[in-house]
Amino acid sequence: MNILTMLWKNLWGGSRTMVFPLRPDVTEHYRGLVTFDPTLCSGCGICKMRCTAKAIELKAGKGEFTWSYEPGQCTFCGRCVEGCKDHALSQESACPPIYLTVGELKKSYTVARKAPVRPAVAPKPAAAAPVVEPVSGGTN
Amino acid sequence: MNPLITSLARLLIFPGLLCAVPAAWFFLWVERKAVARMQGRIGPPFMQPFFDFIKLMGKTTPPRNGIAGLLMRAWPLIAVSSAAGAVGLLPVLPASGGFQGDLILLLALLELPSMCIIAAGFSSGSIFGEIGSAREAVLSVSYNIVFLLAILSIAASQHTFSLEALAQLPSSPLRWLGILALLVCLPAKLHLNPFSLPNAEQEIYSGPMTEYAGPELAMWELSHGLEWVAAVGLVATLVAPAVAAGWLAILIFIAISFAIVLLLSVVASATARLQIDTTVRFYWQCTLIFAVLAVAAALFVRFKA
Amino acid sequence: MKLWNKLMCYSRQHSPWLFHMNSGSCNGCDIEIVASLSPRYDAEQLGVRLEGSPRHADILLVTGPVTHNAAAAIRTVYGQVCGPKAVVAIGSCPATTNVFIESRTLEGPLDKHIPVDVFVPGCPPRPDAIILGVAKAAEILAARGNKLPEESVMVPIADSACCKDGCACEAKKESEVKTEGVQA
Repeated sequence: MNILTMLWKNLWGGSRTMVFPLRPDVTEHYRGLVTFDPTLCSGCGICKMRCTAKAIELKAGKGEFTWSYEPGQCTFCGRCVEGCKDHALSQESACPPIYLTVGELKKSYTVARKAPVRPAVAPKPAAAAPVVEPVSGGTN
Repeated sequence: MNPLITSLARLLIFPGLLCAVPAAWFFLWVERKAVARMQGRIGPPFMQPFFDFIKLMGKTTPPRNGIAGLLMRAWPLIAVSSAAGAVGLLPVLPASGGFQGDLILLLALLELPSMCIIAAGFSSGSIFGEIGSAREAVLSVSYNIVFLLAILSIAASQHTFSLEALAQLPSSPLRWLGILALLVCLPAKLHLNPFSLPNAEQEIYSGPMTEYAGPELAMWELSHGLEWVAAVGLVATLVAPAVAAGWLAILIFIAISFAIVLLLSVVASATARLQIDTTVRFYWQCTLIFAVLAVAAALFVRFKA
Repeated sequence: MKLWNKLMCYSRQHSPWLFHMNSGSCNGCDIEIVASLSPRYDAEQLGVRLEGSPRHADILLVTGPVTHNAAAAIRTVYGQVCGPKAVVAIGSCPATTNVFIESRTLEGPLDKHIPVDVFVPGCPPRPDAIILGVAKAAEILAARGNKLPEESVMVPIADSACCKDGCACEAKKESEVKTEGVQA
């Protein structure tokens, strides 16, 4: 009789269905499309090396590089996001969209290479005659 | 009125094709919606079986060659016409005529769609069709014995084989026993859980219907719907009390049919599909004994009186 | 006649019958397809029915990167789907072979073999994304009218049950379809 009470409760308790086109929300840690921030990227290529599906391409040029991402190829594993040392990559918490032609969602960014940042150097002391230190000899 | 005109009106207008086809779609929808609601889902919108039918009419069919192809195209049409004939025989209105023995004709017409399914599976040349048809044949043999014995017990207890007379006569306890046996056979006849084995998808790829497409499949779905109306209508006319007014009779008929459809939906959603050996064992071991007892009791009462 | 065509168009959009074909997938997408029939997502509210035979279906759902063994099967089953039809590639595998790119056991992405209408990315895609893809494919199917994708060969009955290697029933490879205009 357990099944009959269950059916009765379902019949009068309303359905659990989300009426189309409503969709349930995804959690904030959902691994969706990879988003790229060109201002932070330094073109190291770690993401391309770590990508399991070869969805990320990095073409190096003179003074600039092109970073492209094909969501159709992506398996949404998140290894690129984990490996990016500049935190330029993140995954949006949304379901990837459906598309009608292959390559429709591909995104390319051409980023100019930034000038390398040198660590600050302490200014040299004022040029004086080099002090010749008496050589402390050994013991006689 | 001319009996030919009356018969044609019963076959084509009421309760024939014109009223039975929308009723068939309505019953199919009620079953799907009730099962869906009981499973906690929404289920299809109201006109869904109608849209399924129209869409199927618009599809192309694969080329069918030779005699087997001709037979393949013929089986669904035979199934639809016999199911429609069965619906036309139902005595919904109080004084609708009929003849002695039309109960037997109704049973024969109600049996033809299953025969057509079995034949169609074999003539389709697909191995899944053969397996599905073999299962359908085994199922048919099992439930038909109980079905026919139940009808026999009802007819014998009321001394008549005329549907009209059966609908009008006051019912006796033996008749209710027979109706109970009929209700037990209905899920098997209509391919509902727990006896939905011939339709086992993913097991035998739609069974006998595997090679059918387009308008042929639309005819099969329609014959399935008309079988629903005829089988449920038969039980409804046996259950319904006799009333004089025509419109009241129709209302009661529709209400009781609706209740039977809901009951079948509850059974369908509460059970799982039984295997073929369990199904056969259920009908031959469990229900057959009661059907035989019902017939024996009916004949005993009759010969004592 | 116009009324009939309108009715047919509406019916095709609101009664999509699916057949699901696995061309070598890991079954993740297949599980999500079945999950889309569960109470929470309920594909049946759109009139969707998962059919047991390709001849009954309008929309072919394909999962999996197409392996060697499945390539011939995919073409055969596509030929067996009758009438106006649409194809949905579920998951990233049929669209681009995903992580199996350059694998020597694969016959490449799905659209090398059959024309694909909708791609649902994800690994696996969520059931609501699959339902959205099916709804979009039903729309495309309805708008397509009676036109069949070109060069699709109907597999006759005698050959339809066989799918052995080297059998003569493989459908010709479909090339890109030029739309000629939809029947009003």
